[in-house]
Amino acid sequence: MSVMNDWFSLFIQVLDKLPITLFMLLISLVCSLVLGVAIAIVRIKRFTVLYQIATFYLSFCRSTPLLVQLFLVYFGLPQLLLAFQIDINSLDRMIFVLISLSLHNAAYLSEVVRSAYLAVGEDQFEAAYSVGMTYTQALWRVVLPQAFVLSLPNLGNNIIELLKDTSLAFTIGIIDIMGQVRIILGNNHGIGMFEIYVVISLIYWGTCILIEMVISTLEKVLKKGKVSLSKS
Amino acid sequence: MILLKHIHKKFKNNHVLKGIDLEVSKGDVVTIIGPSGSGKTTLLRCVNYLEKPDEGIISINDLTIQTKKPVKKDILQLRRRTAMVFQHYNLFENKTVLENVTEGLIIAQKKSKKMAREIGVDILTKVGLADKINAYPQQLSGGQKQRVGIARALALNPDVLLFDEPTSALDPEMVGEVLEIIREIASGGVTMMIVTHEIDFACEVSNRVVFMDDGQIIEQGPPDDILIHPKQERTRKFLKRIMKEPDFTI
Repeated sequence: MSVMNDWFSLFIQVLDKLPITLFMLLISLVCSLVLGVAIAIVRIKRFTVLYQIATFYLSFCRSTPLLVQLFLVYFGLPQLLLAFQIDINSLDRMIFVLISLSLHNAAYLSEVVRSAYLAVGEDQFEAAYSVGMTYTQALWRVVLPQAFVLSLPNLGNNIIELLKDTSLAFTIGIIDIMGQVRIILGNNHGIGMFEIYVVISLIYWGTCILIEMVISTLEKVLKKGKVSLSKS
Repeated sequence: MILLKHIHKKFKNNHVLKGIDLEVSKGDVVTIIGPSGSGKTTLLRCVNYLEKPDEGIISINDLTIQTKKPVKKDILQLRRRTAMVFQHYNLFENKTVLENVTEGLIIAQKKSKKMAREIGVDILTKVGLADKINAYPQQLSGGQKQRVGIARALALNPDVLLFDEPTSALDPEMVGEVLEIIREIASGGVTMMIVTHEIDFACEVSNRVVFMDDGQIIEQGPPDDILIHPKQERTRKFLKRIMKEPDFTI
């Protein structure tokens, strides 16, 4: 009985910090989505200078570990800005986590967006132009809604990856579910490692399953009249 | 009135249009014929700037575009005075049949949703798709898709309707229903430019036929003159070649 109680109380203790994890996931997802779309468009339209910058940024973000980027932002950025008389040392550390997660994920998302955008096809743009729409109108009314649906499988992958990336935030002292696990272990002097890591695995796993369910529901709802003739 | 002056277009080393001059008066139905690769489609696409000409002047009524230094606003204006029916329909895949028709009215022409809907339903009824207004393009046959394409273009009430081989992608049995609708529109006095391979149709529907070859206009005139008594050798050869095509029996 007491064994069950131990497991249960571990679950409760770790779950208590799930909102922090989800908060990081949600905020950095929204920020990286906006930035990712912007980068994708810059790269598709090949705006000369911006294109170079975006490509450089993409290369950096995808070729260095997230942990290194997090440390760069948390330890390096304040030092750099101090040289310009800007003091950001007093900022909440959560801000640094959100910045690095958003910047990192935007690089990956921009490629998700770019492939979906290209998959929609030039013919949809031409149709929009032919009825008198501007590029921006064509983008928002016709192309992005279709690109969004096409990107859902990859987007789902990306969100799950981002959820797991949030587990690095504990390294700079954020008490998310991973941070909570470290605290519990510290209090127990390292006893009960097996139980606690099983518990946190299940929590990550369960959250991922929920995300997958949301994505597949979205896919079903948004496919609008898409029918496969070969299936009938 | 539409005026094209000295239009040139190159794709890399391929000189597709070599100085086209063409005039289309209000109410004219002009058919452009010619062998594949002669530049017919490119010319039509230059009229609404889906293809950017390298040289020349395009004007529709009081709007003139110098293609050497085009103004963005003018290009938008040009597109709002024209409408195109595409070979491969190019319907908005994420929108219903009715939304396909009303989208341009609401977004580009800033008409009210109610008014756009009225126009849309009215025109879709005319092309025989009143029962399909809530369907999505993927649920339609080729002939139905092209009728939506025509309705979408017609609803915009443009100065000129551009048809880019509107029946080339259709099954033979669906060609008739689409041509029938174009015929009806033509008799209604709408200015049209049609690129087509349907010579008989061109003869019947248009009041002028333009024959193009190798990026140039070889000759133009009333259908009878061009299609039955062509003056130029190249026109004769082309017509002979397509008239000679046997009717297959399978």
